[in-house]
Amino acid sequence: MTPTPPPGSARAVDAQAGNGYHTTRQGSYPTREASSVDDDAVNEDQPVASPGHGAVAVFQAPHAVRDRSGTVAGAESVTRPLNGALKRTGPPEPVDIDSPFLDLFADAEPPAPPASPHTAPTGPGLPPDNELATDELPALEAGTLEADAVEPAQPEGSHGPAGHRDDPPPLTNYPANQSRVPPSRALPAWDAAPDGRREVVQAGLRRDLAEKPDLAEQLDLAEQPDRGEKPTNLPAKVPAGRPPARSSRSQASRPRFSDRDPAVELTISEIAGHLTFTPNTVTAWYWLPEVRWAFRPDAEREALLSAISEQFAGLAGFRLHLRRTTRPFPADEWARIVDRNTPNPLPTVDGAPSWSDHLVSAQRHLLSVNHAEGQTYLGVTFARRSLGNSLTERLLRAFGRGVAEGERRRLGRTVEQFDEVLGAFGMRGRQVTPAELEWLLYRSVALCMSPPSLLSPVSDGRWERGDLLALTEQIERYRTPYGSTLKFVNRMTGEERHVAILSVGRMEPLEIPERHEPWLHFHERLPWAMEISSRVDILGPGDSFRNLEHRLRMIRSQQLDYAEHGIDAPPELERLAKRALVIGDEMTTGLPVDSARAHGWHRIAVGGHTREECLERARRLIQLYSRELRVSLQHPKNQDWLAREFIPGEPIANTGYLRRMPVKLLAAALPQAASTVGDRRGDLIGRTAGTCRRPVFLDMHFPMEVRERSGLAVFVAEPGGGKSTLLGALGYLAARRGVQVTLLDPSGPLARLCSMPELRPFSRVLNLTGSEQGTLAPYSLIPTPSRLEFGDGTAGDREFEIAMSNARAERRMLVQDICSMLVPPQVAREASTAMLLRHAVRQVPAEETSTLDDIVACLSHMDNGEGRELANLLLDTAEMPLAVLFFGHPPAGLLGADAVLTVITMAGLRLPDLKIEREYWSAEEALALPMLHTAHRLAVRRCYGGSMSSRKLVGLDEAHFMEGWRSGRSFLVRLARDSRKWNLAALVASQNPRDILGLDVQNLVSTVFVGRIAEDAEIASEALRLLRVPVNDGYEATLASLSAVDSASSARLGFREFVMRDVDGRVQKIRVDVSYVEGLLDHLDTTPASASAPNGASSMLTPGSSAMPALPSPREPDV
Amino acid sequence: MRLRTDDDIYRARLVYLGPPGYTLPVHLPYAQYGLFVLLVPLFVAIHYLLTFHVEFPAWEIALAMVTTSYIFRHVDPDRPARVVIRTALTDWRRTREPAVEQRDARLVASRIRVREELV
Repeated sequence: MTPTPPPGSARAVDAQAGNGYHTTRQGSYPTREASSVDDDAVNEDQPVASPGHGAVAVFQAPHAVRDRSGTVAGAESVTRPLNGALKRTGPPEPVDIDSPFLDLFADAEPPAPPASPHTAPTGPGLPPDNELATDELPALEAGTLEADAVEPAQPEGSHGPAGHRDDPPPLTNYPANQSRVPPSRALPAWDAAPDGRREVVQAGLRRDLAEKPDLAEQLDLAEQPDRGEKPTNLPAKVPAGRPPARSSRSQASRPRFSDRDPAVELTISEIAGHLTFTPNTVTAWYWLPEVRWAFRPDAEREALLSAISEQFAGLAGFRLHLRRTTRPFPADEWARIVDRNTPNPLPTVDGAPSWSDHLVSAQRHLLSVNHAEGQTYLGVTFARRSLGNSLTERLLRAFGRGVAEGERRRLGRTVEQFDEVLGAFGMRGRQVTPAELEWLLYRSVALCMSPPSLLSPVSDGRWERGDLLALTEQIERYRTPYGSTLKFVNRMTGEERHVAILSVGRMEPLEIPERHEPWLHFHERLPWAMEISSRVDILGPGDSFRNLEHRLRMIRSQQLDYAEHGIDAPPELERLAKRALVIGDEMTTGLPVDSARAHGWHRIAVGGHTREECLERARRLIQLYSRELRVSLQHPKNQDWLAREFIPGEPIANTGYLRRMPVKLLAAALPQAASTVGDRRGDLIGRTAGTCRRPVFLDMHFPMEVRERSGLAVFVAEPGGGKSTLLGALGYLAARRGVQVTLLDPSGPLARLCSMPELRPFSRVLNLTGSEQGTLAPYSLIPTPSRLEFGDGTAGDREFEIAMSNARAERRMLVQDICSMLVPPQVAREASTAMLLRHAVRQVPAEETSTLDDIVACLSHMDNGEGRELANLLLDTAEMPLAVLFFGHPPAGLLGADAVLTVITMAGLRLPDLKIEREYWSAEEALALPMLHTAHRLAVRRCYGGSMSSRKLVGLDEAHFMEGWRSGRSFLVRLARDSRKWNLAALVASQNPRDILGLDVQNLVSTVFVGRIAEDAEIASEALRLLRVPVNDGYEATLASLSAVDSASSARLGFREFVMRDVDGRVQKIRVDVSYVEGLLDHLDTTPASASAPNGASSMLTPGSSAMPALPSPREPDV
Repeated sequence: MRLRTDDDIYRARLVYLGPPGYTLPVHLPYAQYGLFVLLVPLFVAIHYLLTFHVEFPAWEIALAMVTTSYIFRHVDPDRPARVVIRTALTDWRRTREPAVEQRDARLVASRIRVREELV
């Protein structure tokens, strides 16, 4: 009979959750069933490689915390977790999402910190700063503690598990002789603490780990509540003080562990600088930065590959260890940067998520889709150590000194050659730091497990030397005979991982830059993190020729043998001999790059939460490689040796699956390829969708504020390509950050943004079709420059004068264009019309106060009949209800500068088809053209109202109507030029890149988004030109395949893809995903069927009920 | 760039056809003969340990032949005989994956000395 485990223990949790895994997390917090559908969808589709993703600290902006009373936080944090499921279904108003504690625990998310067991007892001397939060929660803790202190052996039944769901399991069973932790150090208080406090705790943990090396042991002891009951079961050979194995629930699943010594030390004995020492070898480690691969011209790629292969050839004679590992994306770091860059976020509205919630949900989203950043290390094993050296080291270790200084000095000189070879163009490697090596070692021992991210070594930099290495003590490894996977268990966090190691088997010829992706980068298109280890011997020309010649002789002798025996030799012998001859010829006569060979073993580690998940992922990976690259990945037995091979310094698992290849092919593996785009300081807008998945952040003011470039961004896509939605989303995100946003959306769906609860008080909709007379009066649309905008002195005066006359000229041009648009096209085309208009425009002073009525008056007072006729024609137009907008003076305070978000629409306006001649347009359509022109001006006009340096954003949809008119071009040029001066981000959407190219402003464009263009190859190549991607290189097909629908599915496409070029010229395919913003997509949905629903539904939107249409489908097309 | 491995050259099947002038009826890879030659004395030794006397190793030869052919059924260019034998020796207890894991030694890196700078 299995005894019921005591509450709070990891096992109790397992029993409740009904699974057999060593997770402390799953049962401690509301179960997955309680989470909403979308959470499941996210996790099912994009399985999280690091189950501890909740452990990555979530940064929360301090703003919201400030304006919330502590009482609420404390009370909430106690009560919420108990009914965490309610959170998703309840109305949004009372949800106090501001509580950082709540954010980490109450939400039905697995991301609760798995580190709870070890963090709990190690927060010394933490002064309670939030009285309520620390008092209420630890009250529970303290109660448990005392109860257990009195009855340490009392195992079960006394506490209901639900009542103690917050108890970190180790606490409840913490050894009695260990000094008790004050209640205030308990985990929840720690997590409720603002960032500064959290750092204190982290520092404390580190200190504790350093002071008490046996702490981990005790923690493990604590995890075994019923150990005391069966001491006789312990194997005799377990040393004293060593914790016995975790006992399991039933006899059947008891792991056998008596067959091996429980701990083996790694071969590496010392890390010194960037060198690692094993008893026999010394390895120098280099960090290979990521290189851009996607959307580069093939010539550039080939140049890169040949540079890298030359570097490999330069390492002939050495054994390399190429390791690729990952680091979870530091979402908290990003959020801190965003918050720092957002001085005035939108004030919180009751019942709507605050700025801080917004950041938290963005971070959650980042963590849930599991973006990992790759890290590539290259180790060069370059020296054999003599017996003397190794014995000296052993001797010196006894005195705490390690490798002798003389040896290190000597090696330091030798290793300089590699700096030279690897630092050049190609790999651009740099020496790693000891901290990075520690990270690599930890990641290799705990293969595919989530890193100890709460104490992220990279962001905090407060790891002591050796801390990470000490954490490897906690990683247990389990294997089964003939097993296809390995199991790793972290004793500290209870995390369990199943890992399958695949070996690169037979490879067919690859055409790397032209047709295929780099073959060790290719796996990154799958949505989970994997690890790569390649052990390669680089053979120089001599060695490789000798090797090949030997093989050739064997083949020849076999042929001879067949001939002697009078049997027909198999034809492949002759073929292979010929090939060997050709290769041998290349080797002897070619460059070292052609002759150098790389003989090596390439492995990929795939991890999963369960064995089934791991095997399923391995299957998908194998399938992907065999289908797309014709590389057969093999899944050999003896996985434990293979896993060990990932650890630097450990021996090679076996001699099988040795791949012999030219160094060029090894260079084309390019595991360090990456696709990053965007800046690191903007809003999260999606992820890259090309060869790997990285989050994409975009700050529309980054080009102006940092890069000192223009802020013109261009969006090009076919109708339905998602331009408007992206425009709206960017507008929303900017408005959230307090940027003054003006969106011009002629068709009107973006107006629904203003009804979002968080924006409602700060936004207004201006519907031009229902506006007053004079709203679009062309004269007042061009702002008069102010003297203050220019520098002092005569130079400033002169600039001001020029700006003034420019403004006047622009006004005249605009008025002339508008008048030509208002009169019938036949009339407008006549030379006399242009002359008369020009005359009239010259007569009327080109100031803001002038109106079109002045032009009409001027025309009618002309003494020739044509002038009067033209005036009459204009007056005829003025009778139409919409045309009154052009006449008269603009109403005062039309565009108040106070609204953060202003959406200008023209609801009900029929836009003409530009392909049809103007003569055939209806009167209404003809009027739409000048309206659009002036509306664009109006949208921008507002930005010239406030201070020059404040951030402004203008989104202009349907910009293709600007083409063909000179005022249109001058408008965009002026916009691009002014954008830097006025800190104005201008987003211009158009259906055809030709409009932008035709306006000849593409060199002023800093950011480009190109959506699906499938219909017209010509348009596609123009879009590529806009992206500055080589044309006719096959990338047109990429544009056509963007946002490709799965024809088998009848559901709507839930995402939109774009090719994006950022201000730094990086081009990447991205998938826009703003589903993390509650309700945003519902409000942006422009599809006819669902367009009517959100307005009505928005009032009853609950946090969990949003449909989140942008969630990627479970089986993505590119996977 | 068309890039291909050199593996096919190393994948050529090299077989022993027999002594000059006499072609064996079966052509087996050289490695198989090598393994056979190693296995016969091994089985003879085992036989000797069991019975303490030596006779003509008929049974041993037969056993070695069977064993060799069995091992080489699992051998391919990417999986040398050495690996197959090693796997068989470590995992001989079962031929199918059992449900129970056994714990392996933990690999511990905590003894590694870390020095900030090389010199």
